[in-house]
Amino acid sequence: MAETVVAVSGVTKRFAGHVAVDNLSLVVPKGGIFGLLGPNGAGKSTTIRTIMNIIVPDGGRIELFGRPGRGRDLSERIGFLPEERGLYKKMQVLDHLIFLAETKGLSRSVARAKGAQWLERLGLSDWTKRKVEDLSKGMQQKVQFIGTLLHEPELVILDEPFSGLDPVNSRTMREVVVEVARAGRTVLFSTHIMEHAEQMCDRIAIIAHGKKVVDGALADIKRDFGGRHLDLTFTRNADRAIAILKDPTMVARLADHGATAEAELSPGADPEQLLIQLVQAGVGLAKFEVADASLQSIFIAKVGVDGAKPYAVPEGSQ
Amino acid sequence: MQKIIAVIRREFVERVRTKAFIIGTVLGPVFFGAMAIIPGLILSRQSTGQRIVVVDGTTAEFGQRIERVLAQAQLGRGENAKGVYLPVRVAAVGRVQEVVDSLVPLTGLSKNRGTVDGILIVDEGATTTGKLRYYGKNVGSLSDVRELQQALTPLMVAERLRAVGVDPAVAMGAAVPVALETRKVADGKLTTESGASTFFLAYAMGIVLYMALVLYGTQVMTSVIEEKTNRIVEVLVSSLTPFQMMLGKVVGVGLVGLTQLAIWAAAFVVLQKNQGRILGFFGAAGAGGAASLLPTTDPRLLVVFLVFFVLGFLFYSSAYAAIGSMCNTAQEAQQLQSPIMVMTVAGWFSAFALLRDPTSTFAQVASLIPPLAPFVVPVRYSIAQIPMPELLLYLAVMVLGLLVMVWLTARVYRVGILMYGKRMSFATIMEIIRLRRSD
Repeated sequence: MAETVVAVSGVTKRFAGHVAVDNLSLVVPKGGIFGLLGPNGAGKSTTIRTIMNIIVPDGGRIELFGRPGRGRDLSERIGFLPEERGLYKKMQVLDHLIFLAETKGLSRSVARAKGAQWLERLGLSDWTKRKVEDLSKGMQQKVQFIGTLLHEPELVILDEPFSGLDPVNSRTMREVVVEVARAGRTVLFSTHIMEHAEQMCDRIAIIAHGKKVVDGALADIKRDFGGRHLDLTFTRNADRAIAILKDPTMVARLADHGATAEAELSPGADPEQLLIQLVQAGVGLAKFEVADASLQSIFIAKVGVDGAKPYAVPEGSQ
Repeated sequence: MQKIIAVIRREFVERVRTKAFIIGTVLGPVFFGAMAIIPGLILSRQSTGQRIVVVDGTTAEFGQRIERVLAQAQLGRGENAKGVYLPVRVAAVGRVQEVVDSLVPLTGLSKNRGTVDGILIVDEGATTTGKLRYYGKNVGSLSDVRELQQALTPLMVAERLRAVGVDPAVAMGAAVPVALETRKVADGKLTTESGASTFFLAYAMGIVLYMALVLYGTQVMTSVIEEKTNRIVEVLVSSLTPFQMMLGKVVGVGLVGLTQLAIWAAAFVVLQKNQGRILGFFGAAGAGGAASLLPTTDPRLLVVFLVFFVLGFLFYSSAYAAIGSMCNTAQEAQQLQSPIMVMTVAGWFSAFALLRDPTSTFAQVASLIPPLAPFVVPVRYSIAQIPMPELLLYLAVMVLGLLVMVWLTARVYRVGILMYGKRMSFATIMEIIRLRRSD
């Protein structure tokens, strides 16, 4: 297994009245994109904040880059975008980026050059001398995003990075995140938008009520979930098809919609065998597609309706 | 260290750039300038070129002398000097009332430029009675009347001396007020400070310290609250230790304060030195220039003042930072900062209390209390020098107090900046202070 970048073991954090994170363990290997998924109030932000040493957990251990130090001691190697965005409103954009980079140990001249490059790249080069407060919210988010990446950290931790962005900006930032991961660096981000996770993540962990529900490589999770689904559309002899599909050795679950059907294949079932049987029985097929379960369906199946219900007390320390 | 410098630079640059700083820095000297110019302008409001008719009813030369003296009276010096009076003498022996009656209708006319401003009536026997009469349009101006009186008094005195056969020159030369020169003796050495300037200096130091603490201390506090409200702390705390953040902020704001004070001090010195010239520029003839308020100061006093100023500033502004970290709004901070206000006011008052007796037990005890020492020690030193060993003791206690303060406030700050919503109670604060370091 690859080198571990973040190891969270048995971390618990209680706030007045409820447990935000309950004996949670996570392992984020080096490289790739790790998605921390969960409904609102599941403890994602709290987990990230304990990793960043913004809050002190009540129990458990956190290791970064294989060492027990937390966030700040290794801040040169980490870029962090908190869920609550915040910038100095009165500062000029480029000055602000330089300051953020300086707190990460970059020299002013390097920070200035890189900051200008990034602003150019994200289409903010006309705004370098403007005050942060003059920028739109989306632009401010971009600026903060640049601030997170400016010092080229090995580990990038993003808390809900794409929330509140329009589709174009969201896409631009996702492209940047993917690029960071391609460069061999590690990205850990939290989100409740499954489509983003599905498109981007190599590995995920789903948490609900502060507990881990499932984690691992996205492909493995999909396979383990019982992976293969069958989408069918019939043109004739649908009744014969349904008869064949009712064979429990082939199909575990079946949803008959008349002209169409969705089936979940039984473990070990061979979809090609099924296709041959259907064709031989004279069933007319307009569609026969083997598909993985969507992350959305896995998420709903694993977390359930109950898990998606937010806590009465919102996560975080408020 | 590089990170602290980055924080200091940010605090400094961003503050110095603000309109508030620029306006404040400019307004300071404007205020000092006004202080220097306004008294001069007020003094120079005395009218010049007053057309006075001296109605001379005497047979002696008294009337002529009066005319001569009035013609010589000048306001201001050098090129700017202007004659105060344009006197004309009318010999009116035996028909004084007649002449006066004919002059009154010509006096104080608003439009006619040939008008007379005032009539000075010298009756026969005026030297015996010591009385002169003046009818004029400007008798409501106390300064004009006083000026005239001052111009005439020596004449009257001389005239009366002459009448009893004494040479006025001899008598005037003898009548001199005692000139008392005061100089302070400190540490067995004569300084060039006068008593008045010592008091002024002590007073000024107290004011500067008090102002700096309240102005910049609250700036530290509000900027901590601001960082909390806009959540920038979460980013900062992931790269900086709370101690770095706090120290950077306190030092940065402190440097802004020192810069502003330095600019003000320089402006003050320049204005003082050029008071006459500036007054001339404003068309006010130099009013002789008030005695310089800037004494030649012992450089050691400056060192003591600066050292205690810096220590005091750090002491108080770290307290302000901690209070800011505990609050979510400026309103909350208003209540919590009252202990600091009490301490600064106490320091300010103790400095005053010891002006009377700088060697009292009270003064010595106050010098050993860190919140008071920054006020007390420099003021004491300016009045009566403190022996070196004693001074070092005060310094050591102050530094120790500062370290304890920074230690305590850093602990509160560390937790406070990440606490939202609820305000910390005193009990929580104590708990936080006792909390073992976990990072």
